[in-house]
Amino acid sequence: MILVVGLSHKTAPVEVRERLSAGAEALPVVLSRLAARDELQEVMFLSTCNRVEVVALARDHGVDTALRAIREELARHGGLSQEAELAPFLYDKRGDEAVEHTFRVAASLDSMVLGEPQILGQVKDAYDAAMAAGALKGMLGRCVNRAFAVAKRVRTETAIGAGTVSIASVAVDLARHIFGDLDNHAVLLLGAGEMAEAAAKSLSKGARAVRICNRSFERAAALAATMHASATPWDQLEQEMIQADVVVASTASRTPIVTHDMVKRVMKARKGRTLFFVDIAVPRNIDPSVHSLDNVFVYNVDDLEKEVARGLKARHAELASAEKIVADEVAQFLSWTRGLQVQPTVVAMRTKTHAVLFGELERSLAGRLKHLPEGDRAALGQMLESAVNKLLHAPTTRLKARASEGEDAGELASVMRFLFDLKEIPAEHDRDKQSPVEGGADGDGKGGEGLPH
Amino acid sequence: MSPDLADLLFAATAAVYLGASVLFVLFLLGRAEGAAAWAPRLVALGVPLHAAQIVVSSLVLHVCPVQGIHFAMSVASLLAAAVYVVARMRFRIDVVGAVVAPLALTFLLASRLVGAGMSNVRGFRSAVLPFHVAANLLGVALFTLAFAAAVAYLVQERRLKQKRFEGVMQRLPPLDALDRAEHRFIVAGFPLLTIGILTGTLWAKEVEAGGAAEMARAAFGYVSWALFGMVLLLRAAAGWRGRRAAYGTIAGFGFAVLVLLLYLARDAAAGGTVATEVSPQASRQPDGLTIRGGP
Repeated sequence: MILVVGLSHKTAPVEVRERLSAGAEALPVVLSRLAARDELQEVMFLSTCNRVEVVALARDHGVDTALRAIREELARHGGLSQEAELAPFLYDKRGDEAVEHTFRVAASLDSMVLGEPQILGQVKDAYDAAMAAGALKGMLGRCVNRAFAVAKRVRTETAIGAGTVSIASVAVDLARHIFGDLDNHAVLLLGAGEMAEAAAKSLSKGARAVRICNRSFERAAALAATMHASATPWDQLEQEMIQADVVVASTASRTPIVTHDMVKRVMKARKGRTLFFVDIAVPRNIDPSVHSLDNVFVYNVDDLEKEVARGLKARHAELASAEKIVADEVAQFLSWTRGLQVQPTVVAMRTKTHAVLFGELERSLAGRLKHLPEGDRAALGQMLESAVNKLLHAPTTRLKARASEGEDAGELASVMRFLFDLKEIPAEHDRDKQSPVEGGADGDGKGGEGLPH
Repeated sequence: MSPDLADLLFAATAAVYLGASVLFVLFLLGRAEGAAAWAPRLVALGVPLHAAQIVVSSLVLHVCPVQGIHFAMSVASLLAAAVYVVARMRFRIDVVGAVVAPLALTFLLASRLVGAGMSNVRGFRSAVLPFHVAANLLGVALFTLAFAAAVAYLVQERRLKQKRFEGVMQRLPPLDALDRAEHRFIVAGFPLLTIGILTGTLWAKEVEAGGAAEMARAAFGYVSWALFGMVLLLRAAAGWRGRRAAYGTIAGFGFAVLVLLLYLARDAAAGGTVATEVSPQASRQPDGLTIRGGP
């Protein structure tokens, strides 16, 4: 059975999440510890800013022990006491729920920002790490691989990833509507606070120049050193605005520092070249009347947040369609896995029938039929092969159909094993043969027999 | 040359321009995902068809393609479409096709359906006239594109000023790209318009034209030239770009259109009644100069 044990932004504060997160160095260690646990057949460790999850395949009839094993390893990895410090924040999902959760996470339906694209890359990284550690061998690998295809379907068939949902991305989007490509523009930061830094980092990608103008030149220089920018003295503000295309303002000033008259002079010196202000300061740094000047655009934090809210609303409107896709895919995957449950019985039935009939044939060919020429012997072999196929076709397809319809095929399979005196064949032996993990973590949805693509 | 081929080319060109126009409308309304990609391609397909239609029709009619004003406007719209197809490779101005495609369709249909009597104009065989006509046609083509870019600029700028993100704003090109494209179309068109104005003045002197309509036409031509000149001059000297330049461009184009309308009025008066026949055979005249119905 597939299991998920973990915590996320919905259940745990950042202090707990950061204790359990695993970077590039810690990941192989925790993965190898989990993979070494006898209770787990397969395992993957997903670690992002907002969630830490162990996705595992438990051995048959060992779900509770597998859950305990995962909790123990998580507590050990985070250096937390299992009961007091970890248990209140952990959730676990089993079987159908676990598959659904894995698909939802990959499709970004469980993300803090609905539809954000980074999570799929993070799941792929986790998948690659688990594959490299040899911790994904069959059904679980197939499940995660399927999750990539589900995520792709959700993004293609719904607008879950459309629109802009952060202030920085809205500012970049607006700048693109004004300037087109942002490859050759100059960005000026007014203030050296964290908010300016976040917005400027997005806006300054590919910028010709990034200048930071702050009342404290030292702070401007310190920030400039971290982001390939240059600091400029506060008294050069007007001069700097003549050169800039985008101005990001976020100082703590209580009164506007960029006034209507100042921008009027600047625009004259710029010969009317377009100027875009992103004012994320509260109180505002740019006099709102500046927006009325020709070729000048001022967007404050409310304007940007309005667009963020619109983007999020649009994404939430797509949630129902996305959930429907996930539900369809979960049903298909579960149908496939249930088919696998009866596979050992089917194989045992075929093996036994084959062995009995061909054993009898060999005895006959060595006795009463030993005069038969080689051609006739081969014809008899073919006849028996065909008879085996025809004989077993109906029970095989009915058993598989019952399983994929979600009926309890296990009982039917055990009746067949009893009636035909079949020996148990280890499930994973056949499962591995029947459900190869194909294609790697490319999310292309290529997969093995039985699963729709 | 077979008139059937001319008809076929005419129908094919009209269908392609109509398809492009519909797709541009759907694109602007946000109704069709693939419209943005296919509409400009249809305009690109329309250009060679339109060119072939003009060549074949002129051979069928035994007439110079720029001899009648309707036919000449069809040539101008072909040039506008051709310049658009080339320009969109450099600028991100696909949406300008939303003006170019319907305009090309209208001028194409007008060349065929409207009474296009080509008067045997005095002095038509003047040496300067071919320069006058060619410069004006290409100039009109470029100013059409500048006009389309200016309109798109004003729509986009208005939405940015009103902070309305949704709808058409998402589908229009960046503001600066529109402003740059508009400026370059005017820069390219202005010398041609200047040649058109100069040769027109020379020709008017040569044929001693002096009627009220001709005076008005000349006056509108001068105003159009002055407006485009001011747009260029004020942009360079005083930084008048963006909205002001767009208004100047639209005004300049408006006066250029008035000149064309006066030509149409003159030819309608000279040609007489509106043709009801659309077949080239019906339009063909033995002297090759006086045409009713047009190609």
